[in-house]
Amino acid sequence: MVALPEKRLVLPRRTLLTGAAALGATALCTPNIARAQSTHPLSGQSIHMSILGISGWLPSSLGVDMSPDFAKYVKDKYNYDVTFSFAGAPFGQLFQKAATSLATKSQEYNIIISDSQWLGALATPKWIIKLNDIIAKDPALDIEWYAPVVRAAYQVYPDGTDSLYGLPQVGDIEGIFIRKDWLEAPGEADAYKAKYGTPMPQTWEDFEKMDLDDWKKLVAFFNRPEKGYYGIAMQYSREYDGCSCPLISFIRSMGGDIWDPKTGQVEGIMDTPTNAKAMELYKSMLQWNPPGATNYFIAEVIDAFTQGKVFAAWQWVATGATMVPDALKGKVMVVPPPGFKDASGKLNRNYIIGGQPWVINAFNDDAHMQVALDFMRWWYLPETAADYLKRGGLPCDKATLSSPGFDDIYPWNRTYKYMLQRSTDFWHDPRYAEMLATQQEGWTGYMTGELKDPAQVLKYIACKQQGILYDEGTANNAPSGSCSGIRL
Amino acid sequence: MESGAPAALSESRDPPAARQGIWEGFTRFLSRREVLPLLLLLPVLIFFIVWNLIPTLWLLGLGFYRFSLTSGRPPRFAGLYNYRTILNDAGIWFDLSRTFIFVFCAVVTETLLGVALGLLFWNSHRLPGRRIALTMLFAPMVLTPVAAGTFWRLIYDPTFGVLNYVIRSLGFPSVDFLGNGNVAFEAVLAVDVWMWTPFMVLMTLAALASVPKAELEAAEIDRLAWHQKLWLIVLHHGKFILMLGILLRTIDAFKTMDLIYDMTYGGPGSTTQLVAMTLYRRAFEAFNMGSSSALAVILLLISIAFTATFIFVLHWRERREASP
Repeated sequence: MVALPEKRLVLPRRTLLTGAAALGATALCTPNIARAQSTHPLSGQSIHMSILGISGWLPSSLGVDMSPDFAKYVKDKYNYDVTFSFAGAPFGQLFQKAATSLATKSQEYNIIISDSQWLGALATPKWIIKLNDIIAKDPALDIEWYAPVVRAAYQVYPDGTDSLYGLPQVGDIEGIFIRKDWLEAPGEADAYKAKYGTPMPQTWEDFEKMDLDDWKKLVAFFNRPEKGYYGIAMQYSREYDGCSCPLISFIRSMGGDIWDPKTGQVEGIMDTPTNAKAMELYKSMLQWNPPGATNYFIAEVIDAFTQGKVFAAWQWVATGATMVPDALKGKVMVVPPPGFKDASGKLNRNYIIGGQPWVINAFNDDAHMQVALDFMRWWYLPETAADYLKRGGLPCDKATLSSPGFDDIYPWNRTYKYMLQRSTDFWHDPRYAEMLATQQEGWTGYMTGELKDPAQVLKYIACKQQGILYDEGTANNAPSGSCSGIRL
Repeated sequence: MESGAPAALSESRDPPAARQGIWEGFTRFLSRREVLPLLLLLPVLIFFIVWNLIPTLWLLGLGFYRFSLTSGRPPRFAGLYNYRTILNDAGIWFDLSRTFIFVFCAVVTETLLGVALGLLFWNSHRLPGRRIALTMLFAPMVLTPVAAGTFWRLIYDPTFGVLNYVIRSLGFPSVDFLGNGNVAFEAVLAVDVWMWTPFMVLMTLAALASVPKAELEAAEIDRLAWHQKLWLIVLHHGKFILMLGILLRTIDAFKTMDLIYDMTYGGPGSTTQLVAMTLYRRAFEAFNMGSSSALAVILLLISIAFTATFIFVLHWRERREASP
């Protein structure tokens, strides 16, 4: 047998060094990914999650619309599969849907999009988890928000403490959507100047300087019932917080308030001449609203505006994508609502904040809890926030809102940022529903003309709410003697 | 026993005397007069106890506790606190009075219209289009209240609604039916009448069908006037069914909540706030289970009072005739 000469593999040195470097880099990365995938408690599993949110509300559904991206993210990062479903109810019924499920300690809804007022009602019976420890351990969830109100409104309960129960899902503020094309129509500006002696506002900056009297002139100018359209659509509905939100904005911007969150005192704060004046002013706007506006809530204002029945619509900017359908693109401007001059002539705006936080079901099992927290981490990634914004959502983090070009993405973005710094919330108390029902009953009764005296209405509301908060243990003082036997 | 056959097999072919005795005893027990009906009723009784009696007793008990689902505190025994609070609440008395007015107006209107329409369709089998007419007449009754409320809310809309379109065509200004406190109550009442008059038509037709034909023929022969026939024969025989219909409608009208919730939410102000709406809001918005249970018990007692009153009125004549 002949011995064959040995064949030796000869590689150039450069090739060898390059290959070794590549292998080394892979060796550095792959164990981390592999380690993350294999050490994650859900690795290899398949989980189904349910989100409960507001039906017909775009920002609510975006969480589920974007969930395939989350599914891909966790598959790559943690090697588990997740699918989502969305359950919804209108605003007025959502709390009932959530509460009746949570009261049975069910994990039917793993993540809930809660309204900010409900934080107390969900946190007090321990239906949702407290997030302080989670946020402390996870820097990804310790986010710098654009304005202090974001934390106060969407995260904190009880008010004024450091206990955190929510993370903002969508920020929201009150703005006014106006028909820019009507403003710019030939002859309108001249006719306005001829009528009022002042130029018609045209730019966002013009509207920022306007107070309520300026707005009254503008909506009166465009109020043309003989042509089938009116000046403005505002919310006066008894449903949920329809009338309360814009009216509280009037009250606070005029220097009034509805309670003292530190002491729970309502009497003496709610029933004041300033608040009575605010009620009169808010009612006076009805003359430029379409007929039936006393029943207007969010959907009715959308209908009135998108069907060309009104020049302006006082509306939550989170409805922007619905308020500006394709037919109105380029024809709508979203501007700040009116300021209210104080004694020194300075314009004040202290409006109600809207928006909803994510809250996490305390009865989730370990797997669903883990997914919920992974979801939150993913939700607040810069790229997720950018995608959310692009789809019509309204993030609250400083980085996204301060990014170049933010104002120009949608017509409401600039006003959103502006008003976020000029908005506050109302109660987070567990008995908010009774407080709200009392308030709505009184205020809508006045707006519809059933009740004539705003002072009497405010006295009734103050007495009832004082009683509710005292009964709950939130208020230090019982209702005063003058409350005995009070009725509307 | 045949040789070779296994003992167990041969035993199974002929039941032993003990098993025969048990079986005979069981069939004898079943054939006792009172036992079989009781056994047949047992499933219904169990259903009634589990889904009716126990929840009612639970409700009764909960009314004595202060308990809110959102308070985070366990229920606290409070005696008559909830009942005292309810009875001292002027708002609830107003809601109750408004409800009684609603019930009275709704039931009277539905009964009068229902009886009139029922008499119209009585003995009209040869009337062309009778079936179609009856189907259309009964259609509102089979709609869900939510669907009916939604339709009518749109019909009543002052800007888009068809009713206001007709009103404007006649030269009158639009009417804000559901936003104007002067007409909202009547607007909701009209929808209830539209929905439930067909029920009274049905009850009237059933009452009329129970009238013996022989008596009607005798009345014809005796040439009784139509109102005498109606009073002496028709109502005499059909009053039980008619009163049952009125009772059912009274209780149902007293519980009206879904129409109000859908159409006006109790507004404008509190013009259409009926007591069932108050109860719903207390139970499912405020989650005040103690107070809402107490209110539910009070409403249950009122419904029982209605029933007792109707039965008393129904049998009043017999009692009067029977008494010396």
